[in-house]
Amino acid sequence: MTTRVDPFLAAVIHGALENIAIEMGHKLMRMSYSSIIRESEDFGAALTDATGRQLCECTMSTPLQSGPIPGYIEGILRELDRRGDSVQPGDVFMHNDAYAGASHGPDVGFAVPIFHKGALAGFSVTTAHHLDIGALTPGSCGIVDAVDAYAEGLQFKAVRVYDAGRKVEPVWQILRSNIRIADLVVGDMEAQVAAARIGADRYSALLDQYGLDTVTAAYEDLLDYSEKLMRDAISAIPDGTYNARTYIDGYLDSPDPALKELPIEVTLTVKGSDIHVDLTGTAPQTPNKPINMPLVGTVDCAVWLTLRSILLDSDTFGAIPQNSGLTRPITIHAPKGCLANPVFPAPVIARFCPGNAVADTVMKAIAPAVPKQVSAGIGNLRVMAFSGQGEGGPWVHMEIMEGAYGGRYGKDGMDAVDTLYANTRNNPVEDIESHLPLRVLNYELRENVAGPGKWRGGIGSIRSFELLQDGAVSVEGDGQRFEPWGFSGGADGSPAHVDLIRADGRVEALPSKIPYRQLGKGDRIVASGPCGGGYGDPFDRAPEDVLDDVLDGLLDPEGARRDYGVVIADGGRLDADATAALRAARPA
Amino acid sequence: MIVVGVDVGGTFTDLILADLAQQKLTIHKTPSTPANPADGVVTGLHALCQKAGVSVAQIDSLFHGTTVGTNAMLEHGGAVTGMVTNEGFRDVLHIGRHQRPQHYSIMQDLPWQNRPLIRRRHRHTVAGRMDAQGRELVPLDEVAVRAAGRRMVEQGVEAVLVGFLFSYVNPAHERRAAEILREEMPDVFVTTSSEVAPQFREFERFTTAAMSAFIGPKVRRYISALQGQLSAEGLRGELHVMTSSGGVATPAMIAQKPASTLLSGLVAGVRGGAWVGQHAGTNRLITLDIGGTSADIGIIVDGRLTEADARSASIAGFPVMLPMIDIHTIGAGGGSIAHIDRGGAFRVGPESAGADPGPAAYGKGGDVPTVTDANLVLGRLAPENFLGGAMSLDPAAAARVIGRLAEQLGRSPEETAEGTLTVLNANMANAIRSRTVQKGIDPRDFTLAGFGGAGPLHAAEVAGMLGVRRVLIPPHPGITSAMGLLTADLEYHALRTAFAVKGHVDHARLTGLFDDMEAELSGIFDRDGVPAEKRRMLREGDLRYVGQGYELKVDFPDGPLDEAALAAVWKAFHDRHRAEYGHAFEASPIEIVTVKVRGIGAVDKLGTPPEAPSGGTVAPVGQGRCVFRIEDRLQAFDTPYYDRAALTAGQVLHGPAILLQTDSTTVVPPDWRFEVDRFGNVLMTRDAQ
Repeated sequence: MTTRVDPFLAAVIHGALENIAIEMGHKLMRMSYSSIIRESEDFGAALTDATGRQLCECTMSTPLQSGPIPGYIEGILRELDRRGDSVQPGDVFMHNDAYAGASHGPDVGFAVPIFHKGALAGFSVTTAHHLDIGALTPGSCGIVDAVDAYAEGLQFKAVRVYDAGRKVEPVWQILRSNIRIADLVVGDMEAQVAAARIGADRYSALLDQYGLDTVTAAYEDLLDYSEKLMRDAISAIPDGTYNARTYIDGYLDSPDPALKELPIEVTLTVKGSDIHVDLTGTAPQTPNKPINMPLVGTVDCAVWLTLRSILLDSDTFGAIPQNSGLTRPITIHAPKGCLANPVFPAPVIARFCPGNAVADTVMKAIAPAVPKQVSAGIGNLRVMAFSGQGEGGPWVHMEIMEGAYGGRYGKDGMDAVDTLYANTRNNPVEDIESHLPLRVLNYELRENVAGPGKWRGGIGSIRSFELLQDGAVSVEGDGQRFEPWGFSGGADGSPAHVDLIRADGRVEALPSKIPYRQLGKGDRIVASGPCGGGYGDPFDRAPEDVLDDVLDGLLDPEGARRDYGVVIADGGRLDADATAALRAARPA
Repeated sequence: MIVVGVDVGGTFTDLILADLAQQKLTIHKTPSTPANPADGVVTGLHALCQKAGVSVAQIDSLFHGTTVGTNAMLEHGGAVTGMVTNEGFRDVLHIGRHQRPQHYSIMQDLPWQNRPLIRRRHRHTVAGRMDAQGRELVPLDEVAVRAAGRRMVEQGVEAVLVGFLFSYVNPAHERRAAEILREEMPDVFVTTSSEVAPQFREFERFTTAAMSAFIGPKVRRYISALQGQLSAEGLRGELHVMTSSGGVATPAMIAQKPASTLLSGLVAGVRGGAWVGQHAGTNRLITLDIGGTSADIGIIVDGRLTEADARSASIAGFPVMLPMIDIHTIGAGGGSIAHIDRGGAFRVGPESAGADPGPAAYGKGGDVPTVTDANLVLGRLAPENFLGGAMSLDPAAAARVIGRLAEQLGRSPEETAEGTLTVLNANMANAIRSRTVQKGIDPRDFTLAGFGGAGPLHAAEVAGMLGVRRVLIPPHPGITSAMGLLTADLEYHALRTAFAVKGHVDHARLTGLFDDMEAELSGIFDRDGVPAEKRRMLREGDLRYVGQGYELKVDFPDGPLDEAALAAVWKAFHDRHRAEYGHAFEASPIEIVTVKVRGIGAVDKLGTPPEAPSGGTVAPVGQGRCVFRIEDRLQAFDTPYYDRAALTAGQVLHGPAILLQTDSTTVVPPDWRFEVDRFGNVLMTRDAQ
């Protein structure tokens, strides 16, 4: 590979860029107020060039937040161009247009332009998921019944919040008046601006030190480098076409068949060092339900994330610069008007779960080509928002309920963990109960439900919340109707479910999407997470591993016998002879 | 008064004896004995005493840094550990924060799931629950606790953690359960999460306490064996063990809180750097301790060792919620390998050739280019005089491996060697920035102290990248850690979680908490026999704006708290926030999260270092051709080599120069001056650029 900058200087500049992005994220996370950023880490931080090409991203940020940043900048620049407007030093732009780069409305980006010797040289950008953005019901998740983009909350299209260095007070006033719990949300937005400015200062200093030409050449090299790694990895896959289809729940309680059990279809065409991803076959868009996924900002991130995690797995390949170079070999097509490429103003605010299903479907498609680098089917996530009116005003609490990975070649799946393009953190029980009128009743692994396999699927969690005063819940989830897929002889995993247990003991099974639903004091929500699919024939699982699961209380002896052909005798002893006999007797 | 410091490292055990009255230092190095580190300590101690002409019985106290606990974590070789926890919460340790360490990986392992500190079969749940205010919601099921104890005895459990939700507010259930378990399993080490780390966030607290239980038996066995062997050798003085917070503790305290030794072996280096800096007249210091495979970075601000952020400290991938000095370790050292990675980019480290076979220049079969080889190619190491002549280097081998890499890169060998150092130095400079610039500290106001075998080789160029203009190299760079042991006081911590928001603070309650903690620490000092005039109690608190999730530490005044006293605390918090993040939210309410007392018990330790001889002039012992990058161009200089032992205080010399000594080599680049100060430190300076 020919390079523009000498390899030593290139290494120095790459290190410096990465350091800047880390500092931005570090400061944003620590300065912010709401648990969605500081505990869940649902934020992004990156630097781009003047056209929006990403140079580096913060290693702590969530893929679904950093991934879209180039799209935000392209969207901002297009919008300014349309208005005949341009970027000036001291400007700060706010943007959340899901049809122009943003992933969905609650993810708001703040972009600080960087000027070098009078010319625009790049942008420093932070994105973050906000607790509320002024939609029809409190919170920013669990809004599963918005009828169009306007019902989803405030829309910002390249809005200046600082104009040539001067704070644009009216805009901040609008934010304060239209957002619930404005202190938290606006505080987080100010933290975003402060962190983006730090990145801009540091990037300016880097340009002063090395000059724009050298830094530009060094990051061009960096993009080429990432691209080459991705092309090498793609070249190792046999040319051909790989197809898979999975289904999402949609609205299981809807009478309208067009709103439930919706297909997601992915066809990958590998040719040389290129991959084309086609989502033809995916269900048509849902015109008045917000599970549509922006092609730019959600679908593309889901595809990139999955391919990168499989082909350039950082556990195998080490840290590889996450930048626009990685995506150059990948093209994506989704027919206009399908779930994966909706037409404005189709609502998109609840695109989180279907997007993660796209990521899982990409994995299913490519799995036969790279069987040692994938996991079996992955259990999807559910986002819950609890809200109410407390003594000190309204409160909102968001919680992402974890999924689980499928079994992997040589390894069981990861248990109870955030999956694919999401990688947030849960909130400590002790934090929740110290600050909110909620009690957490349990938080454990589920038992006797894991997807059997030579390497079994990861195990989902069970987590229950009780309301200590009247309030409400919204749920934005998926994965309750279909099992995560087993692979290579492994059994399917098990789906999630959510139950509402009323204070009087009545139990009601809830669908995976629940718009704002009032609850009374003493009502409980019990969320049981999905378990990933198994990998390989469970009858090939090492009997000692089966015994371990029995001793750990994750599998009962009956399950060991039925699913694995392993006989566990009294008190947790492996009966090797009986096991061999039982396994041998299985009909072929 | 005779004090001894013993620092047990992976390869060598370093010992230092200080006769405080005579101001005399004796040093000794002996191979470590990993199977039983106490053996190496005893062997080394004998040799050291012989060298110094004293008997073991004359030693007043022995300060010790150990990696037994650290290694038990890194190698996952701890005790079979059990747990008793709340019904419904059996898997807090397994689920963690439900986050993956790596975003972009399918095949990664989650340390807490793949290498559990406590296996699920050993985690037992019992009824009993406190709420967030510490009120009992469900009484403790004592029968179930007892049954769990019996079951764990059958299971062969060797250590037990009792961890209940909200025990940091009300530890009653944890204490009662521990009491029952001690009855049921008298030979087993039982600890509670509130005793180890009484702070909110259950996964982190339970994990920290699980670590204490996991490494506890091993650390306790080791310390007790060491004590036994030392007293059999005639030691009558006290044994003091270095803890992660930079103080020392008595064996009794270590037995109670084994996890406090997790960084024992690392902290002494930063302490040693601080001590050297203090006598060189600087209390703002960056310490850079470089060995063969890694570089450890510490920051000292106004004489205080910087503490790790309680939210980001970890060991072996597990979070640690204990007071720890902030030591940032990166894979960069003399053995770091320069290579072209599979994407075609040039990299240095983190892989290292280690000590065996080591760099090609060692002539022990190493065949990959390392940092040491690059230093040799550039003339910065004297081949026949490496480590005072204890070992000779093979320049032809170094030239061969660097030359091969140069061909692959299409660059000259010198460019390649210099590029190797530049990339390594930039990695270290970035790591230092992450601990300074990112925390609102301007490194240009600091002095960089370079030590460890390879620190003095790189310190000046790393300083140059950071805009740091003063570099300090201690007299014996290779034993700075052992020396640091002799500079520590007894230090214990007490801590309470005490959520309280500005404007709603119950002054009496808060004052009461501080008084309680001081009483607790006084009890320990009484036991240790520390007289009252040698005790100091420092009050601190972790604060945040209401709603934030990360706290910043500020000092609290002594005595009863009132509005006026708190006003100073609030102001200090705004200032700290502005300094750290560049921004303060003056209008936002502030919340106190935890309050702490750090108790310090002064012990006899190193005073002023011995003075170096002064006067006279020194002649170089040789000369070589050294290559440096000056004004962005590679240039060769005829460079004098000096014998560091012959340098005297008072002379100012100019770079380029290479200073040779038995435990290290110091590089003075062309644009730097250097002199020996009155304590024998080499001080390099450079004018502002």
